[in-house]
This record gives sequence, structure tokens and C-alpha cells, in this order.
Amino acid sequence: MTSDERRVVIVPCSGIGKPFGTVSREAAYEVCEALRPGETQLVALSKLVLGEEEACRRVGANPAITIDGCKLMCAATLVKLHAGTIVSEVAVLDVYRRHKDLKPEGIAELNEAGQQLARVVAREIAATIDQVHQAETAGGADHA
Amino acid sequence: MPDYLETTVGKFTFRVPTDRFYSADGVWLQPQGGNQVRVGVTDYLQQHSGDLAFVSTKPRGTRLVLEEEFAALETIKVNLSLPSPVAGTLVEVNEALGTAPERVNQDPYREGWLVVIEAANWDVERTRLLDPDAYFAVMRSQVEAEIRQP
Repeated sequence: MTSDERRVVIVPCSGIGKPFGTVSREAAYEVCEALRPGETQLVALSKLVLGEEEACRRVGANPAITIDGCKLMCAATLVKLHAGTIVSEVAVLDVYRRHKDLKPEGIAELNEAGQQLARVVAREIAATIDQVHQAETAGGADHA
Repeated sequence: MPDYLETTVGKFTFRVPTDRFYSADGVWLQPQGGNQVRVGVTDYLQQHSGDLAFVSTKPRGTRLVLEEEFAALETIKVNLSLPSPVAGTLVEVNEALGTAPERVNQDPYREGWLVVIEAANWDVERTRLLDPDAYFAVMRSQVEAEIRQP
């Protein structure tokens, strides 16, 4: 799953002016640029809203992980609309409920707690990506 | 199922059940018989405040004076301190909210109740509260004020 065609698609929400939306995007960058750069591809939610052809194709052809900052779950909803296969719907609020000491504040620039929360979200997503790898590897072995 | 007063503003619909009393702060009180009232937050207050992250209430047995905080809500947008609309003793708390605070957002008038208070004197206390029509008018003015904000 390391070719361009089989990288896990990461779709963060685009909540503007909301710390939890910023956490979702920071977590996505952390996963795609630092934790699993060769195994993931970032797709902007706005491209799915616009129906941009390449973004829709990537979502339709790869497992997707969505990261949402609020209960509207815009990222998950848009990926489903484009017939994507979501392997994990991450809600930042749920992660925060498990880490009450990491209250995100700030929008353009998250406070330290918000940045830590983003790293926690990113690590959980990285673990999910590893599970996807393992499942695909096992599936491939079964079919070998 | 109670009847509701209802208003829709843009994509938001706000409901006000007609079977209970209200404070202007957005707290509802539903008589349970005797001096006991079940207490929660209104549909407007929960929608205005955003998704709940945590709910904390004063412990069972706490004696409350009027306007003393009986619960605190932390949402993705704000921290709310809820003043008690009646004096009395807190006799029950909704323990389920400890693990499922989202119930306040999902069902503010039933599953999302916060506490039960034994009012010191409900017959007197309720005269200070708003009936559904009065709260509905207050809520509409709050909504309209919010819309006018730049």
C-alpha cells in the first residue's frame, strides 16, 4: 500500500474559526508529513465539496480516515457522498473527552494543549493506518 | 410526549415544551410532584453553546441557594456556569452524562436532564419562573439579538 494508488486518504474537516477544526487539520498534517508520510495522502474537504475529479477519484479508490471537529461530521459525510470507504471516523471531541487536560484554544495558532491534542489524535490515526496495513497484508497472504 | 412551541430561524429550529417552567438563562424545570423538580437546559441554550465535552454537577445532597451554580458545562465553544433557578437541595444527578454528555445535545428535554432539586418551597419558587409562552418570547428575542450581531 505504498504506491500512490494505495495510500490511506486523510480528510480533515474545514471548520473555520473553531479550535477543534484546527486540531483536526493539525492532526492531519502530523500524520501525513511526520508519522506516516509514505503511506497517506491528504485530501482537502473543499475539493470534495467542489467535486474536483482527482480528489473524488482518490477517495473512491483508497481507504479513508476522516477527522471531524464537530458533530456535523462534514468530512465523514462528504467522503460517504463520494462513495469512499471510511476505515475510521475520528471525532476530535471524543479524543478530548479522554484527555480533559488538553483543552484546545486559539484558532490561527493553537495553544500548547491543543497542539498536544492534535499529536494524540495523529498517533491514534497512525495506529489505525498500521492496522489497515496489517489487514491488507493478511488479506494478500490469504489470496497468495 | 409534551407539546412544543417551536420557531425556526435559518437552518436552526428551537423547541420549547409546554409542560415545564423556565429561567431566562435557559434552564428548564419540570415538576415531579411535591417540591421536586427535574432540571436541564433548553434546546436553544444547548444549540447556542455547541457540542458538550463535559458536564459536572454539584454532588447529591448539596444545599443550593438561589442563583448558586448547580452545574457547569464545557462545550467546544464555551464554559457555562448554570445558576440554580430555585433554592433547595440537590437530590439526584444524571450520572449517565459523565460518560455520555452528548445526551444534552441530542435530547435536552428528556435523556439530557441534569439534576433533580427538592425545592425549598416550590409553590413560592415557581412564581419567579417563566411559563413556556414567556420563555419562548425571551428566547426569540435572544435569537433575534444574536442574528443582528455583525
